[in-house]
Amino acid sequence: MTMMSRFLFGPFRPAIEAQRPVLYRIAYAWCHDAALADDLVQETLSKAWVRRAQLRDETALKAWMVAIMNRCWLDHLRSRRDFDAVEDWQDELESGAASPEACCDREQVIACVRAAVARLPLGQRQVLTLVDLEEFGYAEVAGILGIPVGTVMSRLSRARASLKSLLAATMPQPAAQPQLRRVK
Amino acid sequence: MSPTVSDEILHAFIDGELDVAESEKLIARMHGDAELTQRVCALRSLRGMVKLAYAEPPPAVGRQSRRAPRRRFVQRCAFGSLILLAGLSGGWALRGVESRTLAAAPAAALDGYRTVSLAREADPNRVMLHLDSAAPDKMQAVLDQAERLLDEAEREGRTMQLEVIANSRGIQLMRAGYSPYAARMARMKQRHVNLHWVACAQSIARITDEGQRVELLPATRTAPTAIGEIVTRLQQGWTYVRV
Repeated sequence: MTMMSRFLFGPFRPAIEAQRPVLYRIAYAWCHDAALADDLVQETLSKAWVRRAQLRDETALKAWMVAIMNRCWLDHLRSRRDFDAVEDWQDELESGAASPEACCDREQVIACVRAAVARLPLGQRQVLTLVDLEEFGYAEVAGILGIPVGTVMSRLSRARASLKSLLAATMPQPAAQPQLRRVK
Repeated sequence: MSPTVSDEILHAFIDGELDVAESEKLIARMHGDAELTQRVCALRSLRGMVKLAYAEPPPAVGRQSRRAPRRRFVQRCAFGSLILLAGLSGGWALRGVESRTLAAAPAAALDGYRTVSLAREADPNRVMLHLDSAAPDKMQAVLDQAERLLDEAEREGRTMQLEVIANSRGIQLMRAGYSPYAARMARMKQRHVNLHWVACAQSIARITDEGQRVELLPATRTAPTAIGEIVTRLQQGWTYVRV
């Protein structure tokens, strides 16, 4: 009976609903806007529910839903006038928000990392968060985002390199800091 | 064999994308190549930091998801006031009892310090104390705190793991010839197997760059970065206290 209904209707609502926290975390890491992330998740959940019969392999539910969310996210960006092409976001890397203060406790580390991730170009940010937060394999990420595996690897590599240099600038430089503060 | 391993290979390695043979080859190489090991560690801690940064994304306010957190908040408030009430009445009831018998609660031992933990309740059996200053009172506070926690755990028959992590100027505590408490620290280490002294390699490198030779006390371990160590431990459920 269960097998039958699953075959006919795809995953049950609870299974889809259960992905909410995962999706929200990813969405937040992509857009760094709680309200927008919540909208994206909501839209993804309802689309997934409508299209549930399209899912063939139920073990791939998470990846399938993240792929839906990726399309929702791109649609959202296209509907905004400031979006032209993913590659153009590369330029925003340098002109982003002011670099955060030096990190020394946990909240500050979190704020620093989030600020640094937010400054990554969109494509890199997506690959990085899927690999690091949800531990998707490179091939899965390629499937979700609809890009070649080689691109996944190069984006990941560039993302981590820029993250490292962004964080190196903000992580504690204890010996120098007090002296720097005195100079005005 | 190529002189340097490319970043892409290292990324694939830490993400578990290499096959067994390739991984083994890389692990074998890491044994003889400290720089390579350092790069792998740095990448791992970077990944850990990203994970930590989004472990608890801020909740969306103003949506239907608003209800749950608010209920939780109310629950927490209620719970908090219950504890406060229990504490007050407990304190009143026990006002005649000698203060020594009251030291049992682990929370009481961390009084005056802000503890950070990813778990809902701070784990009293796995604690790291972070020292980043060479002020004598801070140094002494770290050691006093460590000793108090360990003694207390011993009295209650708990196995407690405690790490004292030093970076920045706090390294002074663990430097041979500079530490004002070398003898006391050796004694503490002898008494408590689960006590570890951890020094930040980055801070040591910085002092070395200034032209000073850094020799650590025996039984001191180094971590690639103090922050990395703290983040990893937090993820493993440890409680963090900055002294």
